[in-house]
Amino acid sequence: MLEVKNLKYSYNNEYKALKGVSLKVERGDMVALLGKNGAGKSTLFLHLNGIYEPDDGKVFIDGEELKYDKKSLLKFRQKVGIVFQNPDDQIFAPTVEEDVAFGPLNLGLSMEEVQDRVEEALQRVGMSGFEKTAPHHLSGGQKKRVSIAGILAMKPEIMVLDEPTAGLDPQGVTDLTRLLRELNSEGITIIISTHEVDLVPDYANKVFVLVDGELIGEGTPKEIFSQPDILEKANLKVPIVTDLFQQIESEGFDMQGDYPLTINEAKDKFLELINKN
Amino acid sequence: MKFDMDYIAHNNKLTESNPYFKLFLTVFLLILTLALDNLYFDVFIFIAMSVVILAIAGINYKSYIKFLLIPMAFLVITCLFLVFFFGSGKVIYETGIFGIVVTTDSLHYGVYTFMRVLGCLPCLGFLALTTPIAKILHCLATLKIPKIVIEIALLMYNTIFIFLNEIDTMQKAQETRLGYHSYTNSFKSLGALTSTIFLRSLDKSETLQNSLDSRGYNGELPLYKPKKGVINHVRG
Repeated sequence: MLEVKNLKYSYNNEYKALKGVSLKVERGDMVALLGKNGAGKSTLFLHLNGIYEPDDGKVFIDGEELKYDKKSLLKFRQKVGIVFQNPDDQIFAPTVEEDVAFGPLNLGLSMEEVQDRVEEALQRVGMSGFEKTAPHHLSGGQKKRVSIAGILAMKPEIMVLDEPTAGLDPQGVTDLTRLLRELNSEGITIIISTHEVDLVPDYANKVFVLVDGELIGEGTPKEIFSQPDILEKANLKVPIVTDLFQQIESEGFDMQGDYPLTINEAKDKFLELINKN
Repeated sequence: MKFDMDYIAHNNKLTESNPYFKLFLTVFLLILTLALDNLYFDVFIFIAMSVVILAIAGINYKSYIKFLLIPMAFLVITCLFLVFFFGSGKVIYETGIFGIVVTTDSLHYGVYTFMRVLGCLPCLGFLALTTPIAKILHCLATLKIPKIVIEIALLMYNTIFIFLNEIDTMQKAQETRLGYHSYTNSFKSLGALTSTIFLRSLDKSETLQNSLDSRGYNGELPLYKPKKGVINHVRG
């Protein structure tokens, strides 16, 4: 579905932000890209729909190589939508509906089709009723949802979100995770960059770890979070639940190498331990 | 109380009234006031439009005074300069400093300019305080104003709010560390603030460009016509 081959990119021919990254995402995946600040996550994302042209390497979408002429770019940008980290960087129109309509209008759709899509997208993110509101009158979480609606209205196959939970309150994070999971179950492939590890096992079925422009790990959340060396290199930690069970193990309980990652798994494990003793 | 013109424009009794009418009325009154150049008419239009803004649009008088005060400061300074430093003719008052005098001409200019601007302010205020900018831009677009002008206005309008916020945050951060404690470090802090804002605006413009490109921007902002009959949700 989406494949990146040996991607290299440097800023000003000097600072090497990406040093040969290769990864593959399948249709319907929900992927988390983990990495500390400055690891190159955002730079990688901007390659996925052709905003940045790599120094070396290639990007394939649906088996088709990404080309950098105007016509192909429009096609690929419809397929791969990027939600920027800071909604203020993305929302520019004086009203919410005009901003959401921006992408679909650029695709050259009819006005009726665009109106329907705007209505649908705003409803999806729970922002119906705010059509005529000025974006700067919205709260941070609301702005985030509008920026997601702006991408949804383009009906992308792949949705890329750069640190979507940054700056949201806990309820906002829960709502957002639920929305992303819903979208994923409807067939949209989702790629999220983050360094908040606690939520990752909850939604992601695949994890990539990026450190200093290089991919140093890939696998299921279970695989990644059982490799302390990778996590350490990436300045990451295991989810707090996993940490708890690792500490319990050092008190003499044998976990047989199976540490829970989510609250649900932890609950089952606790019950199992209690019943055993 | 914080003065938020945009909020007022979205929430007054005339927000939903016809923007074309408001735009034409404003332009017409501006031209009329400037063309007549009559002191009595200036006063009349000032009072009349103030009544419209306060009574009909229902805008709070404190906000209205704040709106007037900002340009008023410039107006007073300009007119003082006009009175003391311009014009020729009969000298009617000598200050005795560097031969600065007030002449009949300069007094005439000063007073007329002041009154003319005073008459025009509420006319503009009427438009600015009762009409959301999006509607004004839509009007201008249908009136065949060049697209590039409207697009620049639209992008500027949006970024102004982002920058005001940013300036506000940075200034508070500086104040926290006593950046405005004395005159000298006030100047230093202000300088640092200005240069940072400049650099950040370059940064922001690049990110904005990227995000617009991501959604298929082709150098022209398309015009969206919403469905009829969508009700606005008031900020709660």
